[in-house]
Amino acid sequence: MDWQDTKWKITKEVFPSEIISIIGDILAGIILTILILPFKSFLILILIVPALLSMRGNISGPYIARTSRDIIIGEFNKESWFENVLATYALSIIIGFIIGLFGVILNYIFVRLFIITFGILILIPVLTMLLSLSISIPISTTLNIIVFKRGLDPNNVVNTVMTAVDDFFTILCFYFTIIMLGVP
Amino acid sequence: MDYFQKIFKESLVVVMISSIMGLFTGTFLSFNNQILYSFPVILLILPSLNSLIGNIATVLISRLSSHLYIGNLSPKIQRSPVLKNDFYGLLITILLSLVALIIIGYAVGLATGIQIINPLLIITVIMLAILILFGSIFIFLFTSSIFLFRKGKDPNNYLIPLTTSLLDFLTPLLLIVLIYLFI
Repeated sequence: MDWQDTKWKITKEVFPSEIISIIGDILAGIILTILILPFKSFLILILIVPALLSMRGNISGPYIARTSRDIIIGEFNKESWFENVLATYALSIIIGFIIGLFGVILNYIFVRLFIITFGILILIPVLTMLLSLSISIPISTTLNIIVFKRGLDPNNVVNTVMTAVDDFFTILCFYFTIIMLGVP
Repeated sequence: MDYFQKIFKESLVVVMISSIMGLFTGTFLSFNNQILYSFPVILLILPSLNSLIGNIATVLISRLSSHLYIGNLSPKIQRSPVLKNDFYGLLITILLSLVALIIIGYAVGLATGIQIINPLLIITVIMLAILILFGSIFIFLFTSSIFLFRKGKDPNNYLIPLTTSLLDFLTPLLLIVLIYLFI
């Protein structure tokens, strides 16, 4: 693949995805306020929300970038994809646990609202991340393949579009997780 | 399982650090909630603003990484047409996106009845903050990608998590500092 974009090609490919991302994130912000705000434990939950949202850049982002690169350099196959997915899930479990643990510590130091057990507070980010990755991984992989087949650069398009998808589903999965775990 | 081990080994520490940074972002915002409540439109567009600059950084890192692996960009700190195209392409994109974000943000603000105080000041602060961040992050990412690539590491695994979390923290920080400077 002859891969050298002009500045206008970059703008043409990135800008529409940015618009989708902006709209998605504004919607995500509104949904977050409507769904999470009424919870009694809102002050504790809001401590872990920024960290959960940043997981899009920390775990999902590199997964998408690795997939894009593998496709571009012709090294995308079942084995490499499986190992990429496995590493992404393994990282998300460990990081989810760390977010939960720090959530417990920050709650103990700053918020001091003890209406959720430590175990539940650790489970919330782990389950949220596993659920949202299970939606995000198939979508981003398919999108990467489609975009590349259409002659566009996946680096320019997929990550930006997936920001909106990831943020939206992270919040939705976060909401489902706290409902499932019976968080007050 | 070489690829798994490489991803896991290269990502774990940096992802751990950036998640902890994400937790401190929440704490920082809650400590400065007064300024955010004085200018509520900032609260509304902050997630999009974080995503915007984070997305541009992610696109830049993945492009630099692909350029380096393909051989379009030599692993040396020097000017090149590829780098120039990436800089101007992303600068034009960020400016257009900022305009769109401000229009959408203010439209949603008006529709939802969120108070819009001193719009000119807020627009100036947002523009200034994002342009300062873009300039500094471009230089940082270019030099770091070259450095990591030379060491045989994949820049995607290190720089994407680190930069997005850093920007999630730096964007509200710079916004708040600039608001304090202007008012």
